[in-house]
Amino acid sequence: MNRSGLPALAGLLAVVSGAAVAELVAALLGRPQAGTVVAVGAVLVDAAPTPVKELAVATLGTADKPVLLGGIAVVLAVLAAGLGVVAFRDRVAGLAGVAVLGLVGVAAAVTRPAAELVDALPSLVGALAIAGALLVLLRRLPAAAIERKRLWVHSTHRKPLSVHVDRASAAAAEGSGDRRTGHPGPDDLAAPPDEAAGGAVDRRAFLGAAALVAAGAAATGGVAALLGRSATSTRVRESVRLPAPTEPAPPLPAGVEPGFVTANPDFYRVDTALIVPRVDLDSWRLTIDGMVGSPAELSFAELLDRPLVERVVTLNCVSNEVGGPYIGTARWLGVPLAPLLREAGVRPGADQLLARSVDGMTIGTPMAAVFDGREPLLCVGMNGEPLPPEHGFPVRMLTPGLYGYVGACKWLGELKATTFADVDAYWVERGWAPQGTVKTASRIDTPAPFASLTPGPVPIAGVAWAQGRGIRAVELRVDDGAWQQATLLPVPSVDTWVQWRYPWPATPGSHTLSVRATDGTGAVQPEQRVDPFPDGATGWHTITVSVG
Amino acid sequence: MRALKLASFAAAALCTVSLSACGGGAAPAAAPVPAAAPMAAPSMAPSGSAVAAGGEFGAGCAAVPTDASNPGSFAAMAKVPVATAASGNPALSTLVTAVRKANLVDSLNSAKGITVFAPANTAFEKIPSATLSGVLTDNDQLTKVLTYHVVAGRLSPDQLAGTHKTLEGQDLTVAGSGTAFTVNGSSSVVCGNVQTENATVYIVDTVLMPNG
Repeated sequence: MNRSGLPALAGLLAVVSGAAVAELVAALLGRPQAGTVVAVGAVLVDAAPTPVKELAVATLGTADKPVLLGGIAVVLAVLAAGLGVVAFRDRVAGLAGVAVLGLVGVAAAVTRPAAELVDALPSLVGALAIAGALLVLLRRLPAAAIERKRLWVHSTHRKPLSVHVDRASAAAAEGSGDRRTGHPGPDDLAAPPDEAAGGAVDRRAFLGAAALVAAGAAATGGVAALLGRSATSTRVRESVRLPAPTEPAPPLPAGVEPGFVTANPDFYRVDTALIVPRVDLDSWRLTIDGMVGSPAELSFAELLDRPLVERVVTLNCVSNEVGGPYIGTARWLGVPLAPLLREAGVRPGADQLLARSVDGMTIGTPMAAVFDGREPLLCVGMNGEPLPPEHGFPVRMLTPGLYGYVGACKWLGELKATTFADVDAYWVERGWAPQGTVKTASRIDTPAPFASLTPGPVPIAGVAWAQGRGIRAVELRVDDGAWQQATLLPVPSVDTWVQWRYPWPATPGSHTLSVRATDGTGAVQPEQRVDPFPDGATGWHTITVSVG
Repeated sequence: MRALKLASFAAAALCTVSLSACGGGAAPAAAPVPAAAPMAAPSMAPSGSAVAAGGEFGAGCAAVPTDASNPGSFAAMAKVPVATAASGNPALSTLVTAVRKANLVDSLNSAKGITVFAPANTAFEKIPSATLSGVLTDNDQLTKVLTYHVVAGRLSPDQLAGTHKTLEGQDLTVAGSGTAFTVNGSSSVVCGNVQTENATVYIVDTVLMPNG
């Protein structure tokens, strides 16, 4: 191992153990979001500038998050190795570096929305652990003796034993070249006969300490992970028994085909949560405040005591591109929101209902949409089970007819009556439109783009949606031909997508298939291509297939 | 020593990052959007030379913006489907125009797992303008040419050499290894292994022409 190798290893081990300690402290505090790596990652996500959001929001899907955390880990590892090397040369500079790392973590953790002062603790304790581990490891580092050796040469104050070991290890680290050539350096003249063995012993001491630190870090990280897991919502969620709805959803109409309801694991996820917020049901409260006559606080049990209705509703993301996948339909179980807010007494002038998640995300819904009869819900169940953690356990909002970014706050903790003039919600701050009514859209699901088909009858199928207005017609066009009416399958309400079918007599050649929908008001889906930013994409979904 | 260099490099990258986070977004150039898919590391390292974890290769890659907030950067392209990704890259604007004309935007965006040989603008410039405008106005011909640049499945660099059936139906042949590849004998890969949400892209310097 070269001269930088062992110090770099020391730095790496020190930082890994520090990070593990930080995670353990965060887990013990019951605030995993305050773990240094996670907090820094969350800051990075939010720091992305608005122009990028158009790209980013579409893909803040599940896969990106582990990648981001991995990326931070990689940068941290490189930094850690450097830190070891620096500290090896200059303890003070090294410790200053540790302090900077710790402060970055503290700054990230305490500036998160909904942060508490204790969130600084994991990074602080983590930094102390790094410093401790670094000093312990470097002290045992054979090459570290170089400086001390030089001191010894010019001084006689050192104790013989430590001189002996330090000298020997210095020779082991530095003097091997001399030994190889058979020309001992001047210092070697005074070397004790067992210097090589001394060096080996010292290196062994370092590696032993390194192994101990590594094992400690692994154990700490393991305990942190265990603590984290045992307390995740999954476990809590399993204990939840949802009451039966007072008003169950009627069975889906006959003729609806498979795929109408999206299974929970297949339901899209677009959010900014790096780690799925973990909610302790016992301490969870829904706060209703702001411009209301009587602010209220409800426990989960109190919420479940209210009448529960079940509705089949389609939810989609504003960042969905034409033909994109961020849409799904589920059977939601929830508490109607409007009566709850009527009890609280929303004051005149409050035109925005600002929902805040337990991790600080804000989503602003037009107050008008709450009371216009569309029946927004505080959902506790999804497709017959408690909300999955990644879909907002224990409670999420759902506003039929609005894109999720203005109507479907997950991990709900607070509802505040306010005004659009006073508060910009998270995405609005980032340039997305404050009003997000779902645009009429349609999608071809089969055949797949570029499919190779055989001539003859080919079933073309897909979905169309305009929640709140419903779909009156879907038309399909092959190449430059006339628009043909597709068959619409039945729907339970105007708040879901509709499945459509068109039997196409396919002829050989390359063909372009386009689809467009007409909503319940008679408005035809616009042909003009518009990007998702700032208020939803438009355009006719068009795919190419080859027959022959 | 190398570790030290890497460390100071990464430290510099991280410093810009934390500055932008604390500075209220005044410095978009440092914004990493490191949620970027397979290239979190380079997206944090502005010059991208020290950490090539993204796996892109080729001289042409130097022209790609490194600022992750630029929609044409590798980091941004990795997060969106291929036609959207291409539209963020000025060096692919002719291709994007052709794709729009042929109505292939949605097909390319919603295809699941493809490899695209994307001719750069300079590739189209090699075609005599009369021929080019002829192809651009004939949608069938254009679709044929464009789909000849697409192969089902995502080909990694080590799977690239060989003969592949294109979505047009005819085969194309890639020769070479490492970071030097030629398609159909004459079209060089100038920037390869670029990741988008649903496609792996190899930017080529000559438009590929199917027979007939």
